[in-house]
Amino acid sequence: MKKILALVMACLLMCLTFAGCGSNASDMEYVKEKGTLVVGITDFEPMDYKKSKDSTEWIGFDADMAKLFAERLGVKVEFVEIDWDNKALELDGKSIDCVWNGMTLREDVLAAMDCSQAYCNNAQVVVVPAEDADKYKTAEDCKDLQFAVEAGSAGEDMAEANGFKFTPVKDQATTLTEVKAGTCDAAIIDSLMAGAMVGEGTGYADLTYTVGLNSEEYGVGFRKGSDLVAEINAFFDECLENGKMMEIASQYGVQAAIITK
Amino acid sequence: MTFAEQFPIVFEALNIGFLQTLKLFAVTLLGAIPLGLIISFGSMSRFKPLSGVVKTFVWIIRGTPLMLQLLIIYYLPGIAFGNPIWGSGEAGRFVASAVAFIINYACYFSEIYRGGIQGVPVGQQEAGQVLGMSKKQIFFKVTLLQMVKRIVPPMSNEIITLVKDTSLARIIALQEVIWAGQAFLKGSQGIAGQLWPLFFTGVYYLAFSGILTVLFNKVEKKLSYFKI
Repeated sequence: MKKILALVMACLLMCLTFAGCGSNASDMEYVKEKGTLVVGITDFEPMDYKKSKDSTEWIGFDADMAKLFAERLGVKVEFVEIDWDNKALELDGKSIDCVWNGMTLREDVLAAMDCSQAYCNNAQVVVVPAEDADKYKTAEDCKDLQFAVEAGSAGEDMAEANGFKFTPVKDQATTLTEVKAGTCDAAIIDSLMAGAMVGEGTGYADLTYTVGLNSEEYGVGFRKGSDLVAEINAFFDECLENGKMMEIASQYGVQAAIITK
Repeated sequence: MTFAEQFPIVFEALNIGFLQTLKLFAVTLLGAIPLGLIISFGSMSRFKPLSGVVKTFVWIIRGTPLMLQLLIIYYLPGIAFGNPIWGSGEAGRFVASAVAFIINYACYFSEIYRGGIQGVPVGQQEAGQVLGMSKKQIFFKVTLLQMVKRIVPPMSNEIITLVKDTSLARIIALQEVIWAGQAFLKGSQGIAGQLWPLFFTGVYYLAFSGILTVLFNKVEKKLSYFKI
């Protein structure tokens, strides 16, 4: 038994020694040396999505901006679909280099990564069946509703802050399913997502969004201590000045939400 | 979009996802079946330190959730050593999943093998010795076949569980069939908020485990020509 213990200890020690090595180069040098900026995304219209099933190219406001940013760094860009819950793990594990996917700058995000300046406004809105829309015009009207929210999302924070009754579910899309199925009365999701997913011509034609509960901002996340943060802030300022950002934003219908300072 | 329009799009996406599921299933079996045998030899070894280490390893792997093992295998090299050995793309995620699944299933298989080998009556080996067979001959010609016959029912159990366990790999964003089904809930290829594609993935699992059940029944019948 002692021998095994010694063996285990030796292994642990080796791990710790290895852990001490590496990571002395700056993050920007690391990315440049690799030659690829790996961007962690989810399928999220209008920020990162594919135009059709046959296209392999990711487009959207965030995707197009990421391509420009990679060009500026002189590296290729690669988009990788991640599990949103694991975004900080993916960054720390270096399987991605940034999270660029309409990410709300919440406290937990700011604690886990270093983020760019906010580039886009967003709000949490209440989604209800279209036929009931007239009844719910203010947060006060919604007091008695049973809400569905995404677990750990800005929507959940809002439900808590307003004292709503709510059920946390897996993701924003599931909250809509809950409302559609009648298992909850209303959902709280991002206004950008609501704009793309709710109403006429979508899978949720019989739902609509009414009350805006707050306003919040989107940013791009990098590893802690990354020097790419300064680089991307300079990039955003440049793109705002030369109009590139607005040009891309209007392609995807998000120009009204862009933060111009 | 009507159901008739949605169906071909969903069907194609689910097929691509299920292909990943099948690949992970096949690679896991190919790796875990021989690795399990090696591990079972290790745990049956009369050299105590070796059997001790192997048994501890089996305890750790069987005693922790596969989902946790997937997260550790995929993320730990990058986090602890600054060296993301698996890479970021789909291919790297597949390899990491395969490694986690092979190790995990090899440990379960090793215990089934051990039961099978130790369940063969000692008299069988003694008979081999009387006939003047070598140790190697006894194992391969006497014990192994009888062990295979004994382990078919528990192995079929594990293998059918494996079909469904492959869905755990979505935790490290391997885009298998459940992931593909969920994509239409969130919105993909112009279809959003549809729950049926996710439910429909069940048909794939059912069909595949049905095929496996039939196969295992055949194997069992084939091996029933002798009784022990």
